[in-house]
Amino acid sequence: MVKLVGIAGSIGEQSYNRMLLEFIRDHFKKSVDIEILNINDVPVFNEDEDHNDNPVVHELARKISGANGVILATPEHNHTVPAAMKNVIEWLSNNVHPLNGKAVWIVGASYHTQGSSRAQLHLKQILESPGVNAFVMPGNEFLLSNAKEAFDDDGNLKDSRTVGFLELVMKKFLTFMKVIEMMDAPDPKNAHEEDMDSKHPVNTTVEDVDMTDPEWVEKAAEKTHAASGGDYVKLDRGLLTVDQLNCFLNSMAGELTFADDNNQFIYYNKNADAAHMLAPRTPDQVGNPLSAVHPDRVIEHVKQVLYALRTGESDVVSMPAQTGPNQHVMHYYRAMRDENRRYRGVNELVIDIMPILKYYLAATGQKLVKDPDAVPMSPITGLDAVTGASAHSDPTTDATSGASASKSAEKPAAPEPVKDDALTGASEEPAADAAPKKPEETPTDTDATTGASES
Amino acid sequence: MKKFVALVGTNTAKSTNRKLLKYMKKRYADDAEIDVVELKGLPIFKKTEEVFIPQQAKDIAEKIDASDGVIIGTPEYDHSVPALLSSALAWLSYGIHPLMDKPVMIVGTSYGTLGASRAQAQLRQILDSPELKATVLPSSEFLLGHALQAFDDNGDLKSAEESQKLDGLFKDFLEFVDLTEQLVNSKKLHEQDAATFTWDNGTTGDDK
Repeated sequence: MVKLVGIAGSIGEQSYNRMLLEFIRDHFKKSVDIEILNINDVPVFNEDEDHNDNPVVHELARKISGANGVILATPEHNHTVPAAMKNVIEWLSNNVHPLNGKAVWIVGASYHTQGSSRAQLHLKQILESPGVNAFVMPGNEFLLSNAKEAFDDDGNLKDSRTVGFLELVMKKFLTFMKVIEMMDAPDPKNAHEEDMDSKHPVNTTVEDVDMTDPEWVEKAAEKTHAASGGDYVKLDRGLLTVDQLNCFLNSMAGELTFADDNNQFIYYNKNADAAHMLAPRTPDQVGNPLSAVHPDRVIEHVKQVLYALRTGESDVVSMPAQTGPNQHVMHYYRAMRDENRRYRGVNELVIDIMPILKYYLAATGQKLVKDPDAVPMSPITGLDAVTGASAHSDPTTDATSGASASKSAEKPAAPEPVKDDALTGASEEPAADAAPKKPEETPTDTDATTGASES
Repeated sequence: MKKFVALVGTNTAKSTNRKLLKYMKKRYADDAEIDVVELKGLPIFKKTEEVFIPQQAKDIAEKIDASDGVIIGTPEYDHSVPALLSSALAWLSYGIHPLMDKPVMIVGTSYGTLGASRAQAQLRQILDSPELKATVLPSSEFLLGHALQAFDDNGDLKSAEESQKLDGLFKDFLEFVDLTEQLVNSKKLHEQDAATFTWDNGTTGDDK
């Protein structure tokens, strides 16, 4: 469910703006999860002090960061936003910036006819300042005047037209949030524009921590007050502690890597030392931009994989790495998408499929024989574009598999199976490099047992 | 000699607005007695059943009452006045009205080029609100940009151009204080409004 947080700008004992937020929360509870945040105990902002000293401030920052959008309900004091509301925003625009890029909907209630009109304008101006940098929903002003008479004894808005308008605006806000989300998404126009240096932060990027710092994980965790150890994490679908989540991911029958939509390598399931991994990673690499964990000459190929996944051209790109009679390691790159279908990064699974294949043959009493009618294919799937690009690569590169140039007019050359890891491998071998080869070598050299070449 | 209260619009130790106000106090010592007053320590404005006003706010109100006018030095936080200053102005219009019809001069400094221009514009609007109804010196923006570099070791403004501009504005303010003495026609009305005003059933459209 969409998660919003609401803040009422007044810390007075009685507040019609808080009532209004409570009504919105209850009225829309079937479709939207709204948590109303308490700002009563926020200390007076002082730029000399560090917010880290104040648990109230970073709890607020954490909740706002975790929400899809924010509703601010403001009264009007002296023709402006109440100091209490402004004070919170000052804290949230100094060391931490949780409102950055966040969709905000302003509502306001007042005793009289103005309905906080001037305060709402000031609030917009404040939210648009560079330190705050929120996206305020334009138009759709919701000004509740004569607030004293507006609610019944149960805290419900009496006027059905007002409720109807609120429903209409909420619907627009839900759309607005999606639009704002999409604005945050990197949008390279072609594979070449993929930003391998991760210089375009997305709304999950932890800013002001050096991506190349070997202790990026520790520093970013501190900065975000990350859950750890016995803290529970609500998942789709289940509830696990962070420790349980680690046990679960580290026991996966494969090596998993997460690179986000800013092409930053932010996770792998560390269940072995680099020396014992199929695609070696080391703990200090986590946090690196993808450019830092790839040799220069494979960068353009990695970009093609990322671009194909980001644009939805492919949902999965797969390619073999180490292959032989007893091993056939595959790399699967899957696009990860959120509920709005926004690309959120690539899920890489590295797994040796040979044990599975051998089990299957043994269990079903079969063996592999060479197929004389086999149509040669690229061992790389999901990446048609690469074959076109490969025309420029060095024809002398030693390649032993894939379709030959002569076999397919549309695909003059097939990419070589990678010995490398297109996401984070530091291998010097080119990933998805392609090389046309001499036609006569093609079928006979192919390793019949595995269906792919030994390189 | 005129007596002025100068409010430092922020609580930071490194405030360049405080520097500017102290500079004015020193520079205009022959024409006026300027008391530089800190807002630091004031709590965020909050309405209560019993209309509680913190002692610090009452003390400031007393000083303002006894003065001929007020100078406010404001920085700009997020394109507007600091919450601390806006809070102070709320306290100073909560059952007490020391700023009503009081001549006010606004100055502002910033680290960047703009000199708190947006905060100053908002401050004018705030001071114009029915609970405050201060009399702000018109057409008088003093925007001191790049304030970190603006003062020398003695706390004096380095730029002769800026100090001359400030001199002119301050002279005008002195005249303005005398002029406002004559603006008596609506004063009665303001006082009446203030006497009957409450934030709950007020005449202002304002609200909790």
